[in-house]
Amino acid sequence: MESFSALMDGFATALTPINLMWSLVGVTLGTLIGILPGIGPALTIALLLPVTRTLDPTGAFIMFAGLYYGAMYGSSTTSILLNTPGESGSIITALEGNQMARRGRGAAALATAAIGSFVAGTVGTLLLSFLAPVFVKLAIMFGPAEYFALMVLAFATVSTLLGASMVRGITSLMIGLAFGLAGTDILTGQPRLVFGIPSMLRGIDTVVVAVGLFAVGEALYMASRRDLREAVILPIQGSLFMTREEWRRSWKPWLRGTLIGFPFGALPAGGTEIPTFLSYYVEKKLAKNPREFGQGAIEGVAGPEAANNAAVAGVLVPLLALGLPTSATAAILLAAFEQYNLQPGPQLFTASGSLVWGLIASLYIGNVMLLVLNLPLAGLWVRLLSIPQPLLYGGILVFSTLGVYSLSNSVFDLVLLFAVGVIGFLMRRYDFPVAPAIIGLILGPMAEAQFRRALTISQGDPSVFVTHPLSLALLVIALLVLLVPAVISLVRARNAAAPLA
Amino acid sequence: MNGSRSRSLAGLLIGLGLIAIAAVIAVDAMHMRVPPVHARVGPRVFPLLVSCGLALSGAAIAWQAWTRTFLVEAQDTDWGAVAIIAAGLVLQINLLKPLGFIPAAIILFMAVSFAFGSRRFLRDGVVAVVLASVTYLAFTRLLGLQLPPGVLKGLL
Repeated sequence: MESFSALMDGFATALTPINLMWSLVGVTLGTLIGILPGIGPALTIALLLPVTRTLDPTGAFIMFAGLYYGAMYGSSTTSILLNTPGESGSIITALEGNQMARRGRGAAALATAAIGSFVAGTVGTLLLSFLAPVFVKLAIMFGPAEYFALMVLAFATVSTLLGASMVRGITSLMIGLAFGLAGTDILTGQPRLVFGIPSMLRGIDTVVVAVGLFAVGEALYMASRRDLREAVILPIQGSLFMTREEWRRSWKPWLRGTLIGFPFGALPAGGTEIPTFLSYYVEKKLAKNPREFGQGAIEGVAGPEAANNAAVAGVLVPLLALGLPTSATAAILLAAFEQYNLQPGPQLFTASGSLVWGLIASLYIGNVMLLVLNLPLAGLWVRLLSIPQPLLYGGILVFSTLGVYSLSNSVFDLVLLFAVGVIGFLMRRYDFPVAPAIIGLILGPMAEAQFRRALTISQGDPSVFVTHPLSLALLVIALLVLLVPAVISLVRARNAAAPLA
Repeated sequence: MNGSRSRSLAGLLIGLGLIAIAAVIAVDAMHMRVPPVHARVGPRVFPLLVSCGLALSGAAIAWQAWTRTFLVEAQDTDWGAVAIIAAGLVLQINLLKPLGFIPAAIILFMAVSFAFGSRRFLRDGVVAVVLASVTYLAFTRLLGLQLPPGVLKGLL
């Protein structure tokens, strides 16, 4: 019950006028960027970092978390009406949602997405409130060896589960790790990958890499594809009040989506994409009439939309309790914590309790705000979709260069941004997932620090990682994550070849 | 994915490029002068691990490209548009200090909107001027950030 009283204190923090304002700013901005294709929560938070440096951290994090939730609400609108997802967590929503809109049931699709997001967001936040303290108790048992093993597990899952193939995922991770190496080694002051350039001594800023990969890389890629330039916006048709039948078909997928989304967010499994795919698959299997899937089945919108919001709540559990980011946005949030010299993990709950619980409480409030913003006001937001692509990307690049330049008033950072942007373009073009690179960039230096700390404690004996039971268990799971998909595909290939032989 | 099952030159180049980067990281790590205290768990170990990882990934991709299993979606690429945006960025980097934020941002904006196929120069120009000026004023006056004023120094 201690977390209950802490949560009540959190509400006291979150309900102050200034924090309510930050929450409103966050959810509004989140809905906006969720709706706009080409700009997502990770990029937006990265661009806001230089601006929020002087803000009170509690207000800033309330805004960031509201933004993350809001992006999941907003992106469903784009999926449904434009058939291009606003964010990767809504790819699957486009399948059924756009079909519903084509058949004149767009309003019902928007409604089930918004209400499902609300149900999942609220249940997810509830689970977060009570699970985070449990994770904190677990985290206290962690030493450097266990933390290192946990990060290795996160590396293994994000690079296997995201993207078209494991090789591509691992490559992306390695690129991120390589970016993380550059700069002055903290423990010895040794310059690494500096090449005699003084500006490189402070390393490559997270914001530069995130903005380069997400904004510049994306703009170059979208410009290169003539076929992706024209999209048809469907009008909202039908009533926003769902019929009794639609409610009946929606409530179970909402709850199932929540139960699928939350644990996937909390596990180091790369955020919101996978649970939405899984939820869609489950709904299709359970449907009385699976034929309807692909032609506008409301379950296919309700389930995945609940799953992506629940996953966001899940992502916050390991982020706050362990300092372990499991999605690209969470990795940027971790960089935000670093900016304020805050260390997520057990210390955060004791030293900055009012920040953590104020943040969690604000999510309950933010969810209510988002339901209001996205349901009755859906018609207003839709107008954003009519912003012509040339102006949208022109604006994104102006803001991106502005954000990167204002990090430290350095033109060299803009040169780096350009270089990273070209890498981002190549990664998109050749189908490499971007999220593992972001996670590698942020977690890499931390993993190295824990690795060296563990070895210093053991006086250079590398067996610490396998003699500590918890660390061994985590490393074995990481190994299985890497090996099992490879074995499965090998067996499949054999079975497929067998009838021919 | 509709991959074409042919040897992918791009995949081969990516693989070799990654191996080259791995080599650069390894050479950089070997050139560090590491104090003996840090010999075992010093600043070299991690870069060498990353270098190995990159080299192996690069080798795997090169192998896939050679054995026709590096699948890439066939796509119609508008290289001209990519080049225009790249040129816009290079111009902005070089003009930011001498001309100032507002003109540099306008040039970048116009380049990007042109690359995305817009030929409505008047509309794009007006949006660019308004966007650049408003953000400049908001950032310097309201948020207290420094942006180069450039040629408009006396005016703003």
